[in-house]
Amino acid sequence: MPRSVPTICPYCGAGCGFYVNVEKGRATNIEYMADHPASEGALCSKANASLEVLYHPDRLLHPVKRSGDQLTRISWDEALEAAARGLAGTLRRFGPDAIGILSSSKCSNEENYLIQKLARLLGTRNVDNCARLCHAPSVVGLNRSLGAAGMTNPFADLANSRCIFVIGSNLAENHPVMSRWIHKARSKGAIVIVADPRRTPTSWMADHFLQLRPGTDVALINAMASVAIEQGLIDRQFLDLWTCGYQELKSSVKDCTPSWAEGITGVPAEDIVSAAQAYAASPASSILYSMGITQHTTGTDNVQALANLALICGQIGREGTGLLPLRGQNNVQGACDMGALAEFYPGYRRADDPSSIEHFRQAWSASDLPVGRGLTATEMIDAAADGRIRAMYIVGEDPVNSEPHGGHTITALESLDLLVVQDIFMTATASHADLVLPAAAWAEKEGTYTSTERRVQWSCRAVDPPGEARTDLQIVCSLGKRLGLPLDYPDASAVLAEINRLVPAYQGITRDRLGPGGLIWPCPSVNHPGTPILHSSGFKTADGRATLLPVHYRPPAEKPSERFPFTLTTGRIALHHNAGSMTRRSPSLMQRAPNLFVEINPADAARLQIEDGDDVEVSTARGRTRAAARTTGRVSRGVVFMPFHFPGTNILTPDARDSQAGIPEFKVAACNISRSD
Amino acid sequence: MPIYVDVSRCVGCRSCEVACQRVHSVTGHIRVGIQDDLASVPLVCHHCQEPTCAMACYSGALIHEGERTSFDLNKCTGCGLCTLACPFGIIHVQKVAQKCDLCSGREAPACVTTCPAQALSMMTYEEATTRLRSLAAAVVVRGGRA
Repeated sequence: MPRSVPTICPYCGAGCGFYVNVEKGRATNIEYMADHPASEGALCSKANASLEVLYHPDRLLHPVKRSGDQLTRISWDEALEAAARGLAGTLRRFGPDAIGILSSSKCSNEENYLIQKLARLLGTRNVDNCARLCHAPSVVGLNRSLGAAGMTNPFADLANSRCIFVIGSNLAENHPVMSRWIHKARSKGAIVIVADPRRTPTSWMADHFLQLRPGTDVALINAMASVAIEQGLIDRQFLDLWTCGYQELKSSVKDCTPSWAEGITGVPAEDIVSAAQAYAASPASSILYSMGITQHTTGTDNVQALANLALICGQIGREGTGLLPLRGQNNVQGACDMGALAEFYPGYRRADDPSSIEHFRQAWSASDLPVGRGLTATEMIDAAADGRIRAMYIVGEDPVNSEPHGGHTITALESLDLLVVQDIFMTATASHADLVLPAAAWAEKEGTYTSTERRVQWSCRAVDPPGEARTDLQIVCSLGKRLGLPLDYPDASAVLAEINRLVPAYQGITRDRLGPGGLIWPCPSVNHPGTPILHSSGFKTADGRATLLPVHYRPPAEKPSERFPFTLTTGRIALHHNAGSMTRRSPSLMQRAPNLFVEINPADAARLQIEDGDDVEVSTARGRTRAAARTTGRVSRGVVFMPFHFPGTNILTPDARDSQAGIPEFKVAACNISRSD
Repeated sequence: MPIYVDVSRCVGCRSCEVACQRVHSVTGHIRVGIQDDLASVPLVCHHCQEPTCAMACYSGALIHEGERTSFDLNKCTGCGLCTLACPFGIIHVQKVAQKCDLCSGREAPACVTTCPAQALSMMTYEEATTRLRSLAAAVVVRGGRA
């Protein structure tokens, strides 16, 4: 008799659930979960194809050691001993700051909690996860403006919106299930505004489409704020009760007129005015945003500009309103909540605050814990290149493909004394490792994942890992023990119990309460029903008020030049996910999206004598890549787009970072494009 | 009951294609046509009231049965006449005819359940036309805005 085991999808942050059917210990198919609160049973192409990844012949089956170009199979005992000896040696010779640990936003909350605990008990501050490459500006910006960094309202609440403003998010392709909620609102009459440099399937849903130039978001958003103020569409009462800094904000956007913004963004002034009116005047407006906002040198500014707009219009803290950052990975929200971040301990306790250190020192019975902000994911790569970091332990991340300026990343990782990579496949990063540890995939382990809605859900174990692969939880615990650290947990429930004690927002999210649909944090006690809507009675700041923080438009780090006359922007497509180590191994997805392409406007293509399907070379100051040209009106003249799921794209992207959140500017690079023959 | 397609909701994610392929293991029976990067159309068997594919099928593999056109794999010769006869270009031959069976045995076809945008749904003719009328009325109320 087949069993149906409920699991949470391993791809994006939407947190859709589905059942894995198991017969005789083998996953045979998947089945939809019709009553799931985020998806109502729907699944995207990637989730439908997820079992192809589980049983892929490339799965890592046993630990591997590299010497020179030679890969040798070793036992777990040898692997853990070698990893522990290497880390301990680095610690002894160069001190804790010479160790860098990358946790994974693909791993469960429990695993992330243990990985950051391992790092900090070892004494290193350098622990981070790939949120650094996606929503670090949301964590920094929203915490600063609103006192909390999560999505404010759940998906289902979008049906109550009367105006939905989507900026820098191609959710129809990247979080397809979101289009369901937007359509529900639309069929009840909601107005949809989409701002994006590309005409995407998301823009097909729009009443107002604002095709702005890449990296000009602050100008657009400030101009919308200025229109709202000029036309008296702000919420005076809300501003007086719940915010501070309005006068400063008002004077900061005084000169941001729609015609000024038109000059910068390329969006006609009258379109900016009508979008601003629609957003500000509607009884309930929500903002959805994603990487198009965050992956800029002005990422944090972009987020704060959006928070300002929402606050002055009073579009927050009620049904149908709010700021909804759409998270890219299944557990990027949870990895941040669990403190797998350079600047935060679990529960966003600041790493530079002595009281948080004391709190965790006592809780973990540690003699000492590292104080202060550590190196971020991107900074660790720099530090590896210049020798400050000598050993890295990377869990479930593929920086060679996901970090910008790929050539630099490879040189950096090659110069390490020790690189330990733990993953389900031999990724590009793993192929540079000294030790590769085979890990279990989502359906082979249990634990909680926190979706972009802040929904914490338990995912069950359906089948055993292949070969000798082990769960990340088991591996981290056994590595910890060999390093003499008190990391002894029988299972995920035991770790969750500790998280319940130490992270206030998760206090009431206990194992026995996690049924279908999970619970939405903050959930401070075991009787608490969870909090779907944030900020409904003031903000989590010292005085309960949100802060309006003026931001000023700054151009992106790279401008088109004579040598690199085009602007390259990057993003995701419907059939692939992030660095592609899973989706590029999925035959039914590869059959539909087999290769790297570059979108170019037909007018630009004609001038360069490039035809659709031609093999072209795209180059930037960092390197060059070949791709198939796709001539399309999706992009404006002067702009080209490449998805980042294939090796090649991130060879091109720039090192320039947001000074506040450390996110690289994946969305704007000056490039050239030419036929390769 | 046939599958009702709301083209205005389709976002071209191709989830239906992958779901159909998964359920029918070899090849899918639904395809999404993306038009000039401006719209996408899921192409799926209409289960016509007077199916020309069944009329063309000399082996009796395709038969009009109540509300659907059923397909008997064992009778199919792979001749491809149905491909020529289908006015919507949907049925195709890969060794044998590849034809939507509305996922018999499932509560609803996989493509309908999986569609993130709810562009596909199971509706009777009356339900579909009633829905279209109410949407059209809502557009009038909103001053012509779709």
